[in-house]
Amino acid sequence: MLPHFSSLRPKTKGEALTYLSDLDRAKLLAGGTDLLVRMKRGESHDYLIDITAIEELSGAVLNGGRIRVGAGTTHRSLSLSPLVLESARSLAQAASWIGSPQIRTMGTIGGNLVNASPAADSIPPLLVHDALLTLESMDGERTERVEDFIIAPYTTTTTGREMLTALSLEPLPAYEEGYRRVAKRAAWAISRLGIAWSILEQEGTFADVRLAIGSCTPLPFRARKVERFLTGRKREIAVTREAVKICLDEIRRISGERPSFTYKLPVVRDLLQAILGGR
Amino acid sequence: MKSISFTLNGKKVASEVDDDELLLATLRERFSLKSVKEACSIGECGVCTVLIDDEPHYSCLTLASKVDGRDVKTVEFMGDMDMLHPLQESFIAHGAVQCGYCTPAMLLVGYSLLLKHRQPTEAQIREAMSGNLCRCTGYIQIIEAIRDAAPFFKSQAKD
Repeated sequence: MLPHFSSLRPKTKGEALTYLSDLDRAKLLAGGTDLLVRMKRGESHDYLIDITAIEELSGAVLNGGRIRVGAGTTHRSLSLSPLVLESARSLAQAASWIGSPQIRTMGTIGGNLVNASPAADSIPPLLVHDALLTLESMDGERTERVEDFIIAPYTTTTTGREMLTALSLEPLPAYEEGYRRVAKRAAWAISRLGIAWSILEQEGTFADVRLAIGSCTPLPFRARKVERFLTGRKREIAVTREAVKICLDEIRRISGERPSFTYKLPVVRDLLQAILGGR
Repeated sequence: MKSISFTLNGKKVASEVDDDELLLATLRERFSLKSVKEACSIGECGVCTVLIDDEPHYSCLTLASKVDGRDVKTVEFMGDMDMLHPLQESFIAHGAVQCGYCTPAMLLVGYSLLLKHRQPTEAQIREAMSGNLCRCTGYIQIIEAIRDAAPFFKSQAKD
């Protein structure tokens, strides 16, 4: 059973921010695929502010050389957006695997981020694209990097009076890019492992490499040590094998040995080897 | 309470709904559409699926107020006892219905898919059904039923 609450359905961002500022025990409702499930399990709020009618929160456009994604954009529209497919392919792919078709039609990228699950498929691609988040309240606006926004599993820096309104991504159209995940089954599965990558190769050499790994460490992370090692080196097997080893050492350094690593790390090894080898 | 008006199975309707009312409850209790089922209540089983603007949504996780001004379809839209929809006929022909509990939702996801893809691949059919569980048929019959109903949608195509 859902606990009782009052609901509001603002049409503009300003109206939503006013409600957030004026009402106590209020919570923003986007797709509802996480929040309403939690509320059926006992979480309660006096007010839900349904932000799905606010048109300005939805859509992905090129703006000042970066991709601006409204926080209310659904996973489905991200997975179909020509701009995202062209310039942030890993995000489009990750979005196309979240939950089920219904979840993708209902759920939003902003909701996924604010929920901050360590297994959220959208986070590794956002790390690869150096995503900046815009958080707004009646007191003003702030910008935060996605890696600073999520501070612990299911915990972000947002105050209850703020709304995540937009994401800004660096477009990487000339890069080889993708997202691969391992889960128990294709649909409705939580990722056991997810890797987003974006690689720029020039004349057989790694000119720029970005790798982000999710569901392996407490928070998804950018494997910057591996990226630094690879940049400027030849794209050949001896180099990529060394890079994979650096990555596994980095995961162990962050997490310590975990029982799941007997399974996970060989999978990371093989996936990374395939990705870096261009297979 | 909120006053909402929307199109339900092709007819304009209006209703008063509670602030915390789920679309599932509105359809079942206020409009007596009992084809819309509730089972898991957390968006995993898919039996509560309805179409909003022809896209499948879980009505157990949708506030009723969200459909104000929009188009909602349940399986009652498709056919009735006197004349079933060709997709429904195809489900029967393929033995894609056993206990029947998942069937209204399965028909709706199939319908939505066939509106978008006049000749879906098996992968597209499987993907479209992946948010809906069936514990009887083993799915193959449902996949075949949807695939074989495609020619009807193709002949109806405006594009």
